[in-house]
Amino acid sequence: MRRGWRALRRGAVRAGAETSEAVRIAVQALAGARLRSFLTTLGIVIGVMTVIAIVAIIQGLNRSFEAQIGNLGAHTLYVSKFKWFNTSDEWWEMRNRRNLGRPELQAVEREAASAVAVAPMAQLRGTIVRADKEAPFILVIGTTARYLDTNGVQIAHGRFLSDVDEGLSRSSIVLGADVTDRLFPGFRPEEIVGRKVTVEERPFTVVGLVARRGRMLGLNMDTNVMVPYSTFLRDLGSKRSITIAVATEPGKLEALEDELVGILRRVRHVPPGKKDDFAVNKQDQMIRMYEQLTGALYGVAIGVGLITLVVGGIGIMNIMLVSVTERTREIGVRRALGARRRTILLQFLVESSVVAALGGAAGTALGLGVAQLVAALTPLAAAVTPSAVGLGLGFSAAVGLIFGSWPAWRAARLDPVEALRYE
Amino acid sequence: MSGPLIAVEGLHRHYRVGGEIVRALDGVSFAIARGEWVAIVGQSGSGKSTLMNVIGCLDTPTSGSYRLAGADVEKLADDALADLRNREIGFVFQTFQLLPRASALANVELPLVYRGLPRRERRARAEAALRAVGLENRMHHRPNELSGGQRQRVAIARALVGDPSLLLADEPTGNLDSATGEEIVRLFAELHTRGHTILLVTHEPRLAARCPRAIRLSDGRVVGDGPGAEVAAAGPARVVPA
Repeated sequence: MRRGWRALRRGAVRAGAETSEAVRIAVQALAGARLRSFLTTLGIVIGVMTVIAIVAIIQGLNRSFEAQIGNLGAHTLYVSKFKWFNTSDEWWEMRNRRNLGRPELQAVEREAASAVAVAPMAQLRGTIVRADKEAPFILVIGTTARYLDTNGVQIAHGRFLSDVDEGLSRSSIVLGADVTDRLFPGFRPEEIVGRKVTVEERPFTVVGLVARRGRMLGLNMDTNVMVPYSTFLRDLGSKRSITIAVATEPGKLEALEDELVGILRRVRHVPPGKKDDFAVNKQDQMIRMYEQLTGALYGVAIGVGLITLVVGGIGIMNIMLVSVTERTREIGVRRALGARRRTILLQFLVESSVVAALGGAAGTALGLGVAQLVAALTPLAAAVTPSAVGLGLGFSAAVGLIFGSWPAWRAARLDPVEALRYE
Repeated sequence: MSGPLIAVEGLHRHYRVGGEIVRALDGVSFAIARGEWVAIVGQSGSGKSTLMNVIGCLDTPTSGSYRLAGADVEKLADDALADLRNREIGFVFQTFQLLPRASALANVELPLVYRGLPRRERRARAEAALRAVGLENRMHHRPNELSGGQRQRVAIARALVGDPSLLLADEPTGNLDSATGEEIVRLFAELHTRGHTILLVTHEPRLAARCPRAIRLSDGRVVGDGPGAEVAAAGPARVVPA
């Protein structure tokens, strides 16, 4: 019993000593051939760098996308003539659909049991003017007080549109942050509320300012202005199809979607068996679209990374074969002094993994650098998660193990007599 | 432990070269007791290198038996052979065979690494072995910073550090000038008087003559076995029955 324990302990010490010896030898061998080690690892460095940089950028995109998508209101459906992300064929078909207007809005307001807020959104691009200042191509949205709940808008100053504005068709207007900057440069917010602007040459009074929202998918959310829906219809045109934003509670999104489809089909007299002549849009679609895009990007990044890693791995295998040949006599000596085959195997495996892991570490550092550079020089954000770094290091060490195993196996199979005699 | 340290009986080692069978060892038998200093002499091609490889457990015989320190070597698997080499045999090579990138101390520690000794014990024993061969001031030098004689001393320290039963030296003075070679021979003589068993493979009759006993090989057979001076003087032509 005691003997067994001792043998076990000795075995453990031996394994530990051999491993630390193997690491020491590996580091020595690498330090002895710095240029060669550097060139060997270059493939791995580039591969890991590429993957880390691209993953960092994609994760950065994800993060800003997630922040932006919140702008839409997480539990809101958008009923419209158009489906988001359509093909051109579909677009022509949808263009010819009957417009959505008050009848649809009132039906939804009346009948959608799962809805907590319903807001119309009539839209047009127009020019807003104050004195000599002009803001062209601004998205003017005709809506109601419910818009606050459906679209997650925050008011920085003043107030949002009220039911009174809507009922009296008052010429009230709420400005987006960029529009405010454009029309009222250098003004304090409290000075702006109450001032007059014109929208398509009709006068409006500013009642509130929207807090800055940022961009979403390249779309500036701060160049919008909001006016009462009834005022929009009276002053800016009533012939446009509107979008109806319908907010619900978490978990009721699907029930709401079913309700809306039923209501809309009935109001618009869509015969059974015919396709909907309207679309119910939701964030999901945008997320799915986005995931498709970045998924493809991920695939390309990982493909490129894998190819480079394989190329790097072949480089490592090549150099390890050279190393084994060069050190044939050393292997013979080690065998003569009592090294077992698996000790030699371990030694060379450790060496190739160390080379690869060093390359992986360098590649990770460079990749992070590239990501930071991209973040600094372009609007893209870069975010690096520990998992990406772990992935880079793990992958490169695995490449070292896989591509180092054949050379290591060859080293271990050498006949000690032949190896000692090798010139 | 009773019985001889080394007992070889009817040892054959055949190689196939082309279509032909070369009998490098063709029925070799002898025994060596603990504490002996024996030279294996013979011209090149006589089979002495093959014999050294077999006795050093680097090679296995085609047939015949070989017992080293009570173990039936020809029956052992590769790992067991490696362990046996590590425990029982200290090699001294003609070309020293030191690891070039490692210090003298690290070279001497190597057999103890493979034995699984803790670092502190390895260090202490390696230092003692280097002191024993007079290299206490060269422990941290690399082989290329040492003279030929010093390198061979490092190699001898490495051979001794594991306290093996057998010191196996292959032409240990072959790459040294005569004065340095003489130093190394004197070191072997000293080790012999301290009780080490030494097997020295050489083609030099003068070196064999210094050994208390010599075994002469020719064409893979033992053709002489007796006091070193006599066997060395006998030359390759005369056959002295064992």
